[in-house]
Amino acid sequence: MIGYILQGMIWTVVITLSSFAIGAVIGVAVAGARTAPFLIVRGIGRVWVEIIRSVPPLVWLFVVFFGLAEVGLRLTPLQAAIFTFGIIASVYLGEIYRGGLATLDRGQIEAARALGLGSFDLLTKIIAPQIFRTVSPSMVTYGMGLMKDSALASTIGVVEMTFRASQQAQTTGQGLAAFAIVGAAYLLLSIPLGVLARRADTKSRLKYVVN
Amino acid sequence: MTKGELPYLSAKNIVKDFGDNRVLDDVSIEIHSGDVISIIGPSGAGKSTFLRCINLLETPTSGVLSIGDFQIEIGEGHRRASKKELSTLRRNAGMVFQSFNLFPHLTVLENISLAQRRVLGRDKEEARARSMELLDRVGLKDKADQYPGRCSGGQQQRVAIARSLSLDPMVMLFDEPTSSLDPEVGAEILAVMRELANDGMTMMVVTHEMGFAKEVGDRVYVMVDGRIVESGPPAQVMSEPEHPRTKQFLSAVMGR
Ligand SMILES: Nc1ncnc2c1ncn2[C@@H]1O[C@H](COP(=O)(O)OP(=O)(O)OP(=O)(O)O)[C@@H](O)[C@H]1O
Ligand SMILES: [Mg+2]
Repeated sequence: MIGYILQGMIWTVVITLSSFAIGAVIGVAVAGARTAPFLIVRGIGRVWVEIIRSVPPLVWLFVVFFGLAEVGLRLTPLQAAIFTFGIIASVYLGEIYRGGLATLDRGQIEAARALGLGSFDLLTKIIAPQIFRTVSPSMVTYGMGLMKDSALASTIGVVEMTFRASQQAQTTGQGLAAFAIVGAAYLLLSIPLGVLARRADTKSRLKYVVN
Repeated sequence: MTKGELPYLSAKNIVKDFGDNRVLDDVSIEIHSGDVISIIGPSGAGKSTFLRCINLLETPTSGVLSIGDFQIEIGEGHRRASKKELSTLRRNAGMVFQSFNLFPHLTVLENISLAQRRVLGRDKEEARARSMELLDRVGLKDKADQYPGRCSGGQQQRVAIARSLSLDPMVMLFDEPTSSLDPEVGAEILAVMRELANDGMTMMVVTHEMGFAKEVGDRVYVMVDGRIVESGPPAQVMSEPEHPRTKQFLSAVMGR
């Protein structure tokens, strides 16, 4: 039973990492929209963030998996899970970026522009390296939450740990053991992330001295 | 360097509105190669906004900007500046801010080299050589590998000047470069600027340093409420101001 359940861990990891990666990239656009100079773009960004955040992830998962299938876009359960969590992550990570952006001194951005640096350089050479240090602890924390949320993918048939455990519980009647294994596996997965979060946190404090 | 005949940088009929508030009202200034002009005036007159309009950190509501043989018209009926135009304009107009605005996560050397590499496409060695030359010029060669946080305000401002010079701009724009510094430290910065001027750099300086405007400046412009109310040779404007607002402003600064 242990082996069977733990084999599902791979899907937990795949869903978490892929949707986190998608969210980390699209999150840049979300943060960009939320801080855009144009009121309309900011408005759209705001509404988008609110819509995604107000609806429970489980509902989004069903909307994507069952809803899109109805209009002819048939995704596999895994694709649907990665897509859904990726979009949700983009909104939360985007808000985390935006928080980091707010701590950055505007003057530097002006200076970069005055030097003729383009938006890409501004983002990759000036903004990202600086806010990375302030936002990485929150990003890791969000990643841990995302990992736990990925269990919801079992509801649309991704055979990850929770799915396998409930299968086992039904066929063997040993629900307690099955879910204890799942719990322990999540704990195991969380430990390295927790360490990462603390490291990121101390690093962000230690780096360059300001005045 | 000889002083040129054609305007080197000109800003014509610049208007800038923030909502209903007209902050710049038909401002025109031109500088010839090698000239140093100062812009003085009370707080809130629009001096910073004007400098920011010149390198399009702020988009004017309307007006015409030209620098060297590059010209751009802004306003209704004109297209927006392309990325390439923006970049051309900006690298030709070096800007030094009141608050230095160095990149704190990069060393002094990296601060000065970044735009050389990314904007001018210089290779690492070339950029480094140029940066060291400029650091030497502002007297900070030994700070190359420090982070800005470890430098004093005056040192940071000198690095900022070197950073702007690194793109070999046609003009340098200074926005009150000494006003966040102690007077003695400010004097160091003014000395660096004086040297630049002597080397033939074309400069536009917003300042409250009347001494600098008088000694180094070729012309002074007085800006009040978004308009240039008076301009001329510094000695003349300062000793025989014509406009009542100029008189009022001068007696306020001199009386300090
Ligand atoms: N981004 C902005 N949005 C709205 N109003 C602005 C903005 N920037 C400047 N202003 C207004 O424009 C006017 C001119 O400001 P500016 O900073 O150009 O003055 P200044 O002459 O540089 O003053 P100081 O000597 O205090 O630096 C002020 O009334 C200011 O409130
Ligand atoms: Mg100002």
